Amino acid sequence: MTNEASLVEKYASEVFAGLVAPAARGLKISLAPADGPLAKEDALVRMTAELKRALEKPASERHWVMVIDLRKCVGCNACTVACVAENKLPPGVVYRPVLAEELGTYPRVTMKFLPKPCMQCDNPPCTPVCPVNATYKNEEGVVVVDYDQCIGCRACMAACPYASRTFDFGLTYTQATPDGFDFVLGQSNAGDYERIANVEYGENRARKGNASPIGNVRKCHFCLHRIKDGMLPACTTTCIGRATHFGDANDPDSLVSELVASSNVMRLKEELGTEPRVYYLA
Amino acid sequence: MLKKITYAFGALTLLFGLWGFYDRFAFGHQDANYGSYVVWGLWVAMYLFFAGIAAGGFMIATLDLLFDIPAFKGTGKIALWGSLVSLAAALLSIWLDLGHLERIWKVYLQGNPSSLLFQMVWGYTLFGLLTLAALILEIRKPGSRALKIIMWIGLPLSLFISGAVGALLGVNASRPFWHIGLFPVQFPVFSLASGAAMMLVALGLFGSRDDPHRPQQLWTLSLMTVILMVVKLYFIWADYSQSMYGNVPMNVEAIRRILFGPYWWAFWIAQLLIGSLIPIFFLSQPKFAKHNGWAGWMGLLVLMGYAFARGLIIFPALTVPELGALTSAFSGPHLSFDYFPSLMEWAVTSGTIGIAVLGFLLGSDFLPLVTKSQKEA
Repeated sequence: MTNEASLVEKYASEVFAGLVAPAARGLKISLAPADGPLAKEDALVRMTAELKRALEKPASERHWVMVIDLRKCVGCNACTVACVAENKLPPGVVYRPVLAEELGTYPRVTMKFLPKPCMQCDNPPCTPVCPVNATYKNEEGVVVVDYDQCIGCRACMAACPYASRTFDFGLTYTQATPDGFDFVLGQSNAGDYERIANVEYGENRARKGNASPIGNVRKCHFCLHRIKDGMLPACTTTCIGRATHFGDANDPDSLVSELVASSNVMRLKEELGTEPRVYYLA
Repeated sequence: MLKKITYAFGALTLLFGLWGFYDRFAFGHQDANYGSYVVWGLWVAMYLFFAGIAAGGFMIATLDLLFDIPAFKGTGKIALWGSLVSLAAALLSIWLDLGHLERIWKVYLQGNPSSLLFQMVWGYTLFGLLTLAALILEIRKPGSRALKIIMWIGLPLSLFISGAVGALLGVNASRPFWHIGLFPVQFPVFSLASGAAMMLVALGLFGSRDDPHRPQQLWTLSLMTVILMVVKLYFIWADYSQSMYGNVPMNVEAIRRILFGPYWWAFWIAQLLIGSLIPIFFLSQPKFAKHNGWAGWMGLLVLMGYAFARGLIIFPALTVPELGALTSAFSGPHLSFDYFPSLMEWAVTSGTIGIAVLGFLLGSDFLPLVTKSQKEA
């Protein structure tokens, strides 16, 4: 009993306390045995180390890509929720939905899941249509939006073949709730957390009035603000099945480079020539 | 009497529109029904509609002011005024569709020339200025050389701005319904037909009834409208039949939604029956086409049909999911593939129509848009 309890405690602390923070301190953590034939470094630990290595290079020499192993995705939507929390996304704005599809006929049925962030295309159809150069591919290969430049015409949304962009209509989760009084927490108080600035693109933007990003087109940016600080994107860290991989495609020794070279790699709508930088292992 | 009723109609639609404008400015896009999947809605469709009339109106004006066709003598100014009013309505409609309408200046000073939207904004600006200049010149110095030069520049520009609307949609390879080479070709035809229909309304319903040229003008405009509408129907047939045979799922689904889906009534009843077949029937017969009232009302039906046609170009293509499972992937407001304009959207469009109607009537009443020879005749 004591042994079981200590075992649970050990694994629970590793799983739920997060693996990245200790890894950032240089500690090696693995759920697999430390040695023997099953010894294997956790993907998050390896990717975090590779991320730090990539950050030592000039920005123009790294090219971020994401590889999603569909065989490992269980459709838990943890990545979606993590993304919403990380970027403080308001109602109706989503950067990484998980598409679920039922296959087969009863009783032989299965579910197929497809997490869908922005594809960060190398030949993005969304950028040339922007009338004010508000969206462009940055030197690290990520398609970004300049919120102060965007006029909200939504031409980029019409052009995106992956529906990877959403428009910020200025909604809040609490706006239809009653206002409180005295000690009763109402809309004006409860909603404060929604109005606190997020840190997308390393900027602090509180939600008020029609100030950007309200009225702007928004999209996944691979959590550039986290990458800058040596952290993996929120969706990658949170993936319980280690299905999402992230790293520098220009590093031949990186995990993503290995995975992209797999024979079972595919990309969405390749026929459009958009050259997505999100790969799927099927 | 008709003019008074039209004034009242314009005032009422504007009154309803005031609420829509208030809602739009106070709450932004929150009360709109378009969203992150159906990214453009009624206002974009109405922008296409009014911009088409604007370009077409200018093209029609060249019959008098550039090519000096006797039958159209004296109609240039009213065509230019109709074009100018429609352009204002188009730009108002699309401006209100922007998320940050206060940043429109960026398109001029910090623009991306390779973007079709950029080119169109500049094109419309130049087009509007030319139309205004042409109108002022024709009022103050009729038939001047400067006016001819302006009309020469304006004619290809009107073709460009109407074709660019088609290109704006057509360049999106992600939307097979739009991504056809014919799109930019179709729109100038639509525009010219819209311009001719607008003139049928202007001359038939609001023009002087004792102008000896009127029956001939109406007959010519009617024939032009009928021919262009037949061409338009052929375009639709070619487009839809090829798409159906081609069997590209997204494309077929968009057309299915038009023909048999949620928009069937807009296509079969509003666009085809009321907006096309009935006007073609009446306008192809001289006794109706030369009659002020019949020609005017049929012109109005043609315009109404075109308004629906514009909606059917915009909405169905956007209501088809880019990836099938997107419909249920994430729930939230404005994340739907179904679209029907909200009350606020209708109100804003109503206000825009009200402004256009009142603007046109006020101009025709207070500006010297009818030449002396016409009056004397």
